[in-house]
Order: sequence, then C-alpha cells, then structure tokens
Amino acid sequence: MTVLQWIPHLFLALPMLALIVNNVIPRARIRTTTIAMSATVAGAQMLLALAGVFLLVESGESAVRFGMIWDAGKNVGYFQTDLVSMFLLMCVGMVALASALTALTTIDDHRGSYTNLLMVMMLGLNGMLLVRDLFSLYVFLEVTGLASFVMIGMYKSTRDLEGAFKYLALSALATIFILTGLSFLFIKAGSLAFDALTPALFSGAGDGSTLLCWAALVLLISGYSIKSGVAPFHSWLPDAYESADTAVSIMLSGIVTKIAGVYSLLTLTRLFDGIAPLKTVLALLGMFTILVGALLALAQKNFKRIAAYSSVSQMGYILLGFAAGTNLGILAGLLYLFSHSAAKSAFFTNAAALEKQLGTLNIDEMGGLQKRMPITSGSSVVALLSTAGVPPFAGFWSKLMVLLALWSAGLKGYAAFALIASILTGAYFLRLQKKVFFGKPNPRWDAVVEITGGIRVSEILLTIVTVAVGLVFPLLLLYLQRAGLI
Amino acid sequence: MNVTTVMLVSGLILILAGCIELIRTHHMLKIIIGLELAIKAISMFLTLGGWLNGNIALAEAFVVTVIVLEVVVATVLSGIAISIYHKHGNMDIRNLRNLKG
Repeated sequence: MTVLQWIPHLFLALPMLALIVNNVIPRARIRTTTIAMSATVAGAQMLLALAGVFLLVESGESAVRFGMIWDAGKNVGYFQTDLVSMFLLMCVGMVALASALTALTTIDDHRGSYTNLLMVMMLGLNGMLLVRDLFSLYVFLEVTGLASFVMIGMYKSTRDLEGAFKYLALSALATIFILTGLSFLFIKAGSLAFDALTPALFSGAGDGSTLLCWAALVLLISGYSIKSGVAPFHSWLPDAYESADTAVSIMLSGIVTKIAGVYSLLTLTRLFDGIAPLKTVLALLGMFTILVGALLALAQKNFKRIAAYSSVSQMGYILLGFAAGTNLGILAGLLYLFSHSAAKSAFFTNAAALEKQLGTLNIDEMGGLQKRMPITSGSSVVALLSTAGVPPFAGFWSKLMVLLALWSAGLKGYAAFALIASILTGAYFLRLQKKVFFGKPNPRWDAVVEITGGIRVSEILLTIVTVAVGLVFPLLLLYLQRAGLI
Repeated sequence: MNVTTVMLVSGLILILAGCIELIRTHHMLKIIIGLELAIKAISMFLTLGGWLNGNIALAEAFVVTVIVLEVVVATVLSGIAISIYHKHGNMDIRNLRNLKG
C-alpha cells in the first residue's frame, strides 16, 4: 500500500485511539496530559491532510477508496476521500488545534470531558467527510451534533444549558427534515449511496414519485440550512456561541457549522448537478444570509455575539460560491471556507483573551486596549482585514474568487450584491475595533497586560496562516491550474 | 387507494403532528415526544422504501440505526431538560430568556 492509501485510515483511527487512551490515563495525571493529546491529534491531522492534498494532486487520481483498517488490502471501499474532503480534513485539524490551544487557558475543571467530546466531534466531522452515502452522512452529522450539545452545556450554568437547549431543539427539527427527505429519496431510488443519487431522479414530470424527490430536496435543504445556521434559520447560533466556552465556540464557528451544514449542501449540489432551482435557492439563501447577518452584527454589544453574527453573514459568501455551480465556484467556496475558518478562529481566540484578562465581553466597557494588548489587537486587525476582503490577506483572494466565479457563471447581479455587501462587513468590524482596541482608553483597564500561554500561541499561529496563505495565494492558484483543477 | 398511498399519507400526518407538537409546546418533555412521534413515522417510510424496492435488508439496517440515534438524542435532550429543571423548578421553555439580541 502507498502512503496515500494509508493516510485516510488515520483520520478515523487517531481520534478513536485518543478517545481510548484519554480514558485510561490515571485521574491524577489527566489535567496535565489530556489537552496536549488533543492538540497532538489535531496537529497531526492537519499535517497528514496537507500531505494528503499534495499527494492526491501529484498522483493524478480523483479519489482514494478504503475500508476499515482490518479490511486493508481487500477490495472494499465504503469510505472515500477526494481533494475536497482532504482539504476540509485539513481545516478540521487546524481549527481543532486552535481550540485545544485555547482550552489550555479557558478550560480548567472539565479537561478530560473536553478531550473526550472533542475527539468524538472530530470523529463525526472526519466521518462526514469520508462517507459515500447520504445516510452515513446523516449518522456522522448526528454524532457531531451530540458532541456539540454536550460541549455547549458542559458547565451546566443557566446560560450554557439555555444555549445547548436552543441548539438541540432546532436540531431536532433539522433531524426530522433531513430524515424525512432521506426516506423519500430512499423510496424513489432504492439506495442512498452517492452513486445511485443522480439528477435523473428528478426527470419524469407529473409522476408521483418525482414529486417525492422534489419534496426530499426541499426538506434536505431546510434541514442542512438549520444545521449551518443560514438565515432565516440562524436563531440558535448566536445564543449557542455566546453561552459556550470560547474553546468550544471556536470549534462550532470555525468548522462544525461549515462541515455539518455547508459541506452537506455542497454534497447535494455535487450529486444533483444541473438542477437549476437548487442553485437559485442556494444563491437566494446566500444573499439573504449575508444581509441579515451583517445588519444584526451591527446592533450587538457582546464581542462573541458580533463574531457569531459575522459567522452567519460570511456563510452566505460560501453558499454564493457553491451556487455558481462551476468548478471555480466550488473551489472559491472552499477557499472562502478556509480563510474564514482561520480568521473567525482568530477572532474567537481574541474573545478568549479579552474575557480572561478583562472578565467582560461587553464592547461598550472596553476602549484603547491596543497599547495594553498589542498581540491580541494585531491578530484581531488582521482577522478583520481578511474577513472584509482587503489585500493581501487570504480573505481577499477567496472573496475575489467567489465574485469571479459568480460573474463567469452569469450571475452578475449576485456578484454585484456580494461586492456591495462587503461594505457592511467592514462597517461592523470597524465599529468593533474602534470600541475595543482603539478610541479613548478606559482608565479601568490601566493594569491589564497581554495574554500569555496557549491563547497567545493560537492567536499568532492563526495570524501567520492568514497572512502566509494570502501571500502565497497566487502561487497556489498557479499550482492548481497546472494540476488542471481550475 | 393502495397500501403505499395509505402509508405515505398516515406517515405524513404523524410527521406533521410531531412537528406541530415540537414547535407549539412550551414544555421541554413534550418536545422530545414530538421528535419521537415524527421519527416513528420516518422509520415507517424507510421500511416502505425497502419493501417497494425489494431491499428490505438495507431498510432494516437504516431503521435500527435511526432507533439508536433517536434514543441517544432523546437522552441528551432529557439530560439538558432535567438540568434546566434543577435551575428553574419547572420545564417551561419561556424561562429561557437569558440570551437575547
């Protein structure tokens, strides 16, 4: 077996192994070792997936199929990884690493539980990216969701439980929608494997079973939209992000909603390629989401709530990329997802730093913190500029690609809207920066010092990723072009 | 009216009832009941799909998995509901007003 055939096994084996090891560590040593272990697993996944992306491009194959470890060498392949999933596996590793580094400071009491739940969550996310049928996708979606609910409510404070309950209640509705949609597709197609689900299911007008397929599509889009927190299904998202521990918020905002919701929607567009209403719905959802998220972010006072509404708003750009439907559009959406993951994770680590050092997240009470916390301030400014689409950061290139993809697919109105809506992104972030880091210094914070430890490392790492990817982006595009991907 | 239509219509009525229960109620445990009701109907649809396509083995696997997942979700949901009950003394969702904006 080649290296490329071995790597995908590790994405399922590593979290499972870590889960077992974490539960046999003696209680006395768990505090010191457990988070280091989750950071190691996350870091390893990031590097392995990065290697996997390059090996996959060089090998010229479109996908690697594999079974469980005990099936190695046999001709079974109920899992599959292609370039899209390999790239997203790398994003999972990156965000999980940032979360684990932040947890070193923010989580004190429940470290063992945090690692257990993070590993289950990573297993769920990796599983979603590796499966080859819609039913298994749903199963791993539920695994990810369950780990999220428990993580949000981990401390059992009134606010934690409220956030977890709101997420869970809406997820229950999403579960009903998704499962009903899947059962309708199963009735029509007789299987839920990706190979069996084709656009041909929707032809044959006037037929009763075709109607079932359309109903299934509507239900699946609604269900996955709830999971991804797209407007108008976003009401659970700010509450869950605000109430959860910041290390958990990083996971939720950075990757869980992206894989659980947006990757599922991407899977639908890839399976039912060529069905025009699907793309129109995604484009309209994307446009509405950008607008609603940005306008609501303008009205918030809590740092984490602004970041949460910004997450909602940015999700719209990813959907617009996918709505273009072309290869360029999907690539643009994925790169946007990556740059947004890096920037938003940086933003939540900033929130963790501020909460730790000031004890509050109300931006009206802050002011002039730039001198007191230069690293946090710098990383926050880079994240802002990247999200708002200012060159040369990663966010600029990915936003440009989304606009180009929309323009070349003939969706010029949407492209113009996306460009104008960027102003709103700039507006709510500038308001935030002015109130928190610049503006008149509040004498209350004269004794505040810069954050140290895992949060500082995480801030610096994520800022480096945003800047470095932005700088090498043209080379990356040339590489992808040479490999024939765009 | 054949068997398929009867099963589809009755299943849809059950799902609708579950969704209405889930959305309209103020009691946390009733939310779980609504979810359970809808998922029972979905199990019926999955069985129907297997029967119509002559692939009952696959349908069995789906239904068993759905039952396991539904129990896990119900357990987590009731765990959170009980924790909230300890805080507020009742299970009314109108108490959940701390997070706003």
